[in-house]
Amino acid sequence: MADTNDTMVQSAPVKTNNARRRKRKPGDEFKTPITVKEMKKQSFLLGCTALFVIYGIIFNYIPIIGWLMAFQKYTPKDGLFGSQFVGLAKFKFLFDDEVFLRDIRNTLAMGIINLVTTFIMAIVFAILLNEIKNTLAKKCIQTISYLPHFLSWIVVCGILHDALSINGIVNDVIEFFGGERFNFFMYEGWFWPIVAFAQNWKETGWNAIIYLAAITSIDPCLYEAAAIDGAGRWAKIKYITLPGIKPTIMILLLMNVGNVLNAGFEVQYILGNDVIKKVAETIDIYCLTWGVSKWDYSLGTAAGVFKSLVSIVLIVIANMLAKRAGEERLF
Amino acid sequence: MKFKKVLALAMAATMVASFAVGCTGNNNNNGGGDVQDIAVNDDGTAQRIETEGITDMTMFIAMPGSEINAGNEIQEIIAEKTGVRVKETWLTGQTAEEAIGTIMAGGDLPDFMDAGDGSTKLYEAGMLVAWDEYLELYPNLKEMYTDKQWDNFRMSDGKIYWANVFNNTYGAPKSKNHGDEAFWIQCRVLEDAGYPTIETMDEYFDVLEKYYDANPTFTDPAGNVIDNIPYTILCDDWRYFCLENAPEFLDGYPNDGSVIVDKSGAKPTIVDYNTTDTAYKYFKKLNEEYNKGYIDKEFATQIYDEYIAKLSTGAVLGMIDQNWDFNYTITPVFQQAGLDELGCNYIPLGITIEKGMDNRWHTYGDTLNMASGVCVTTSCENPNLAFQFMNDLLSQEIHDLRFWGVEGTDYLVDADGLYYRTEEMRNKANEDAYKASHYCMYSYFPQWGGTSRDGINAMQPGDQYSEFVEGLADPVVKVFEAYGVEGYAEMIGSVVEENEPWFPMYSYSNNIGTETAGGVAWTKMGQTKHEWLPKVVMAADFDTEWNNYMEAYAATNPQDFLDEMQVELDRRIEAAK
Amino acid sequence: MIKVNTTVTKPRKSGADVAFVVCNTLFMIAFVVITLYPVLNTVAVSFNDGTDAVRGHIGLWPRIFSIKSYNTVLQKPTMKTAAIVSVLRTIIGTVLALATNALLAFVVSRKKFLFKSELSLFWVITMYVNGGMIPYILLFKTLHLSGTFWVYVIPGMLNAFNMLVMRTYMNGIPDSLEESAQLDGAGYFTIFWKIISPLCLPVYATVALFVAVGQWNSWFDTMLYNRMEDKYTTLQYELMKLLNSVTSNKGQNSSTNNTTQQSTVTPVTVRAAATVITMLPIICLYPFLQRYFVTGLTIGGVKE
Repeated sequence: MADTNDTMVQSAPVKTNNARRRKRKPGDEFKTPITVKEMKKQSFLLGCTALFVIYGIIFNYIPIIGWLMAFQKYTPKDGLFGSQFVGLAKFKFLFDDEVFLRDIRNTLAMGIINLVTTFIMAIVFAILLNEIKNTLAKKCIQTISYLPHFLSWIVVCGILHDALSINGIVNDVIEFFGGERFNFFMYEGWFWPIVAFAQNWKETGWNAIIYLAAITSIDPCLYEAAAIDGAGRWAKIKYITLPGIKPTIMILLLMNVGNVLNAGFEVQYILGNDVIKKVAETIDIYCLTWGVSKWDYSLGTAAGVFKSLVSIVLIVIANMLAKRAGEERLF
Repeated sequence: MKFKKVLALAMAATMVASFAVGCTGNNNNNGGGDVQDIAVNDDGTAQRIETEGITDMTMFIAMPGSEINAGNEIQEIIAEKTGVRVKETWLTGQTAEEAIGTIMAGGDLPDFMDAGDGSTKLYEAGMLVAWDEYLELYPNLKEMYTDKQWDNFRMSDGKIYWANVFNNTYGAPKSKNHGDEAFWIQCRVLEDAGYPTIETMDEYFDVLEKYYDANPTFTDPAGNVIDNIPYTILCDDWRYFCLENAPEFLDGYPNDGSVIVDKSGAKPTIVDYNTTDTAYKYFKKLNEEYNKGYIDKEFATQIYDEYIAKLSTGAVLGMIDQNWDFNYTITPVFQQAGLDELGCNYIPLGITIEKGMDNRWHTYGDTLNMASGVCVTTSCENPNLAFQFMNDLLSQEIHDLRFWGVEGTDYLVDADGLYYRTEEMRNKANEDAYKASHYCMYSYFPQWGGTSRDGINAMQPGDQYSEFVEGLADPVVKVFEAYGVEGYAEMIGSVVEENEPWFPMYSYSNNIGTETAGGVAWTKMGQTKHEWLPKVVMAADFDTEWNNYMEAYAATNPQDFLDEMQVELDRRIEAAK
Repeated sequence: MIKVNTTVTKPRKSGADVAFVVCNTLFMIAFVVITLYPVLNTVAVSFNDGTDAVRGHIGLWPRIFSIKSYNTVLQKPTMKTAAIVSVLRTIIGTVLALATNALLAFVVSRKKFLFKSELSLFWVITMYVNGGMIPYILLFKTLHLSGTFWVYVIPGMLNAFNMLVMRTYMNGIPDSLEESAQLDGAGYFTIFWKIISPLCLPVYATVALFVAVGQWNSWFDTMLYNRMEDKYTTLQYELMKLLNSVTSNKGQNSSTNNTTQQSTVTPVTVRAAATVITMLPIICLYPFLQRYFVTGLTIGGVKE
């Protein structure tokens, strides 16, 4: 069974006419040598590529000029090309400040917790939803599940804050079971889980859409065959559904690894307070306090450059690991 | 392929180049200070510029606000009378700093701007039109301030680029309100205690405690039994002033914001209110009350919406806050729920640390924040017309249209010439939809408070005595009668005096950057206070926690900040001479 | 498929399977209740009286019923233009994005393509680097995109995330299809159009949904590039202006600035009404796309 499955979904290279046979490690990609003949053959692909590259340069790469600001004392008066250069002063400012280092830790911690939980929740939800056999119920649940995505953070956080306040519903339940009412937002240990919950609450259904689409690419014959072999629900999930969406899982995991430092701003800003600031402040909040709100446009850019560099290093490493493991990868 | 790579590179280079050109092009139209040819009357004022049809202009305001509808009725009337229609756009989804930064980078500025704290940036970039020559031509504008006050607006090149439009009183002040910060207390508490004189924090909390001990709950008009909360403190983000800045007032100083200016010595000096004995006593008192259970256990973690929701139930007996931060929102709720008749409305008190001190919670003179105001940008094609328009807006006829509305529809005039509104008109004026389609206040353009040019009416309806009295609930009237006062301001009993020339110092500290040691210290001080003040109030052992706080506070080098403020204070004193 | 399933497995339905179904059903019910709550709460708040809503604690039913908030939102004269522009940008933006991203994904998913890896990397990097707002303002001004409709659809058209999602799906399609088509003399475009695309409908629907929702919800670009242009205003921007975004309010650091002249508190009910108005069209759109996710599209028929 695992066999059929492999040939079906995996992108393992298939023998082609001009592929020279050689021994390959898993994940090692076959590369067509660049020849005039081959280029002629691929002229359509190359033409498209040229357009895509030009587009990318204009709309994605030229604006990186904005990074100049990180090395300047940018003032709106002098603009991007006239402001005074200050070298690495902004970076020095950031990394000399213990508070910034603390905020990196917070951002990283929340980024990782959010990444892991939202990731697992979305996959679990997609798979379980796929197991619902009543089409109408399935459609309804899916529609409902992704609605919170359209609520703003201020609304979601407001409801959450209300539910967790001393007189809120959660404390009502705690009291009902004989516990003592307590203020969740006073304790540093609770903040990260609360943020993770908020993320999952709002985005699980939305994140699951991609997996649901991926599940549709799985050949129904496989399930039928498995059923005949006597496989139960769990076995089918484990041996058919999961491997079927593995490439999608991998690619999303790789992309999100690069985003761990983008743990957000609004949730922490709205839910955080002065008492638990030590664990609630993120890089973005730091930049607001010290950067923009002090008319320092450069500081935020410096933090942005730092985040970008970290992201790129992370995805390169993750991509390498994926390559070694023979899995779907970014590039 | 190689060719294509080269091509791509070349394209990129062209882009960068055109970019740079586009950018430097922005700063060309500097120095738009000169008045274009303009005909002048014999008395030196400008002759009216007659425009063909109506000229549309734009304005950006770096504050959140409600946009009015296109085709707004009063806007059209004003447009017909003045020849100008201004579309106002407000801050949306960005901080003011970001918005100003992006607008400046784009280069296409609106005709008018109120850039808030960003005004200086616009000036530095040469994007503003100087007012000086226009002021001579347009008497209504000139009339806004005395020459000495106008001088306060002068920038480093000696010219005036904007005018603050608020807090400017024409004739006698009419307002009975207290718009600022105070210790507030509910009418029902005062009534229950027999309207005692409350001057100190001890007296204030005594009254609250007694009331709360006797009445731990109350029943609202809908029949719900609600737990009273004797005292709560809002400390959500920038609103933590409700916890933080009381020590300056308790010592009898006015709202300079970031510092105290001590006038007792040979020359005025800057004093830090965070480390005074008064600060210690104030927080010790709060700590004591907290440990006795009279302060809301949740105060440190409540967000603004929750705080407002709490106040709206009528449960909170007292707190410190700025009037504008809660009263506009909760007053209509009280009216709707009938809580105002139960005596839940708040009365401000002018509390000081010791008995018998002067207090300055209420500022009688106009608070002239010269750091920002309305300005005309160099992108404005016809600055003459822009200034003429602002001048027109200050004429009594248009001013009445802006704030009172259309006579007969929005207000009536009695036999004595006094303006008044019926209940229906007043309700209509508060309706969002009606406000958007009918009223056009041009609220960030020049305007007056105080008395109208007819000598009897108020410039703005909220200041009209009949309107003020009409809006008061019975328990509030009883409080005023019991204390023998006419309104909120008098209730506080602050010293009536002229403002000092340096007032308010916050117009400097609000704009302080992080380039100087003082600026860095200022931000760090803020962060430290944010972190420690709630802890200090909730501490089991106050003195230890206070010492820890003082230690952390000292580590932020507050002296750097104070020194910088002293320099600014000296500069202001010098400039006022 | 369902039919096959039931007939075949019925006789051997194990206890574990029954337990699974029960647990799964319970899980879904709990999930639906938890996710539906904030949505229904928003609807309830939107129909509540604005003044009363300040008191908070509205559950699933309005305390004092009122449709005033909807009036406030819908009475704006600009709403009509805004709605048209929003619909247009959603349609045009989605079509453009779908076409270009699919083509790009097709190119990078060709196993034999010479610069497959390089082109992927080129786009992957764009996900993590960002020069900030100011260069974009300058760029669009230079390109004369500011102040036009096209600033909504051209700049964000190609997007690495969408491209990668599509690429992953296309990678799962057996190469033999492409090869046999090539043997029949089909060019790459024919392969893209006639062979790959029909198989990719689920992922196209997914990306279309992402792009459409993104286009429908975006307001920041309207604010940056068409701040004063009433003819290109969008629904979301009009709503945002109405809401006086809380972020900007919170960003103020002037703790003692007492010159706030007008009350800037927008009733929570208006915020809720605006949210409901935004959500409605998307709820209506979804069932059309949903059939691509829920019924498994079979590609078995075209396999080797």
